[in-house]
Amino acid sequence: MTTMKKWEIIHIPVKPQISIMDPPCVDVVAAVIEPKLANTLIRRLNQTSPLENLTHVKRVRKISVEEAPQASFTTYANSGINSHLSSLMLSNIDGITGFSEEDSQTVFSFMKLALKLTNSGPQLENAAVIVDPSVRKIISSASDQTHSWHSPIDTSSIETRCIKHPAVVTSYQPDANGAAVVSDENKRLDTDVSCLYPWKWMEHQQNTGKTCYFHPLRHAALVAIELAAARDKHLYPGSGNMLDHSFQVNSLTSSIDSPAKKQKLDFSKDKNDSDLKACAHDSCFETERPYLCTGFDIYLVWEPCTMCAMALVHQRIRRIFYAFPNPNFGALGSVQRLQGEKSLNHHYAVFRVLLPEDVLDHAPS
Amino acid sequence: MALCEEENSASTLSFMELAIQQANDALDNLEVPIGCVFVLDGKVISTGRNRTTETRNATRHAEMEAIDDLLKNWQDNGLSAMEIAGKFSKCDLYVTCEPCIMCASALSILGIRSVFYGCGNDKFGGCGSILSLHSQGKGFECTGGIMASEAVSLLRRFYEQGNPNAPKPHRPLQISK
Repeated sequence: MTTMKKWEIIHIPVKPQISIMDPPCVDVVAAVIEPKLANTLIRRLNQTSPLENLTHVKRVRKISVEEAPQASFTTYANSGINSHLSSLMLSNIDGITGFSEEDSQTVFSFMKLALKLTNSGPQLENAAVIVDPSVRKIISSASDQTHSWHSPIDTSSIETRCIKHPAVVTSYQPDANGAAVVSDENKRLDTDVSCLYPWKWMEHQQNTGKTCYFHPLRHAALVAIELAAARDKHLYPGSGNMLDHSFQVNSLTSSIDSPAKKQKLDFSKDKNDSDLKACAHDSCFETERPYLCTGFDIYLVWEPCTMCAMALVHQRIRRIFYAFPNPNFGALGSVQRLQGEKSLNHHYAVFRVLLPEDVLDHAPS
Repeated sequence: MALCEEENSASTLSFMELAIQQANDALDNLEVPIGCVFVLDGKVISTGRNRTTETRNATRHAEMEAIDDLLKNWQDNGLSAMEIAGKFSKCDLYVTCEPCIMCASALSILGIRSVFYGCGNDKFGGCGSILSLHSQGKGFECTGGIMASEAVSLLRRFYEQGNPNAPKPHRPLQISK
């Protein structure tokens, strides 16, 4: 897998990196022209045969052919603008330009925690930990639940633990913890990482005691998002509507009898009334509440599949850290590169965390 | 993708009508108005509508809601994974808006037979708009443009009244037409 001695964090950019040793090639056309015509030609070329993401540029070399001075003319593509745009898109997210020693240690400790969550070993399962990096607090954590869906969601088990810097998980003891927590009765196969083998569910064997369901879509990231959402509701039980206040201000400008306002009040009645009032009066309480997972990071053992990567866009995750690339369906660099899809309404920064050899050696297989 | 509305059969339109009803229900509850129905052997077996505001979980799209119901019901009736896979392979989805990249992947993972959708989704669409997940790997048939204007007008109504769940720097209350 890797022969690293130390932990390392690598930024996965929005565009595949261009290797200096093996740069991409484009077709080039050379012609002998009248030097005065060069600018006009370039302009016309960009109009009549534009290149996708590239532009024609002028490179003229004057040579003397027989009596008349002429120029050999080359048109080729310039991709400079493109990479500039890509870096602008994410320039305000911490870590792209490098991590401080302190931040690196935090990243490693949360990644260790994610590895620890994979009960049957990091190579055999995915796990996700959503973290609020501003206070180094775990928001939610989960491992794959494609084989064990407990319906409905048990909100009483929501954790709001705090992680102390540098790390709560200083030692990695997979055997002791792993064996104790393994809850499922099915023998797990090597191919149980849901993001790597999303169609594996079709071969799932029915549980004998029907205590839980299977669910092909309950990949670790989706479960972690669900738990983070449940935690949000649990901590801020007031109105279901985020930024209620600004919404009401907006409503004032529209008709008072607007159906929107009526529906909003009806909707609020379904909720606990006293909680609602408490929240409405305590405005700073509401301002502390982040919108979905805005500002939060997620640590994943495996690079997420397309479904999970898009779910993390929807939930507004700020940074994604993963340990192992997913060559089958990885959506953050391996197969797709969702962080580079400009049309999406949210963009996260993506990092791969390289693990030192000893962590892998200790991992159960 | 076929986009000829007049060629859609009566049954296609009637299923889409039910999906629109679901979307209306979402709108009545201040949710993004997108709804869907799953159809097996000519019968609606599951319905869903967006529930992202209520759950504060932005992945609770109409499709995901309906899928959860199906999986639970089928397992309650003792169906095995293989039998459930068989059912999905004969299922059609009618949804008012093109499935997003997440939902399109999910539908592909489940092995659904075909998807009929209303309006396109030029920001997140996973069935041709941004990615084409329906035509990669284990794909599915996909037909867009069914009752698209109805689907769009619901979304427009929602955004005109302001999305209460959106973050602060936010689209204007009135959309200029």
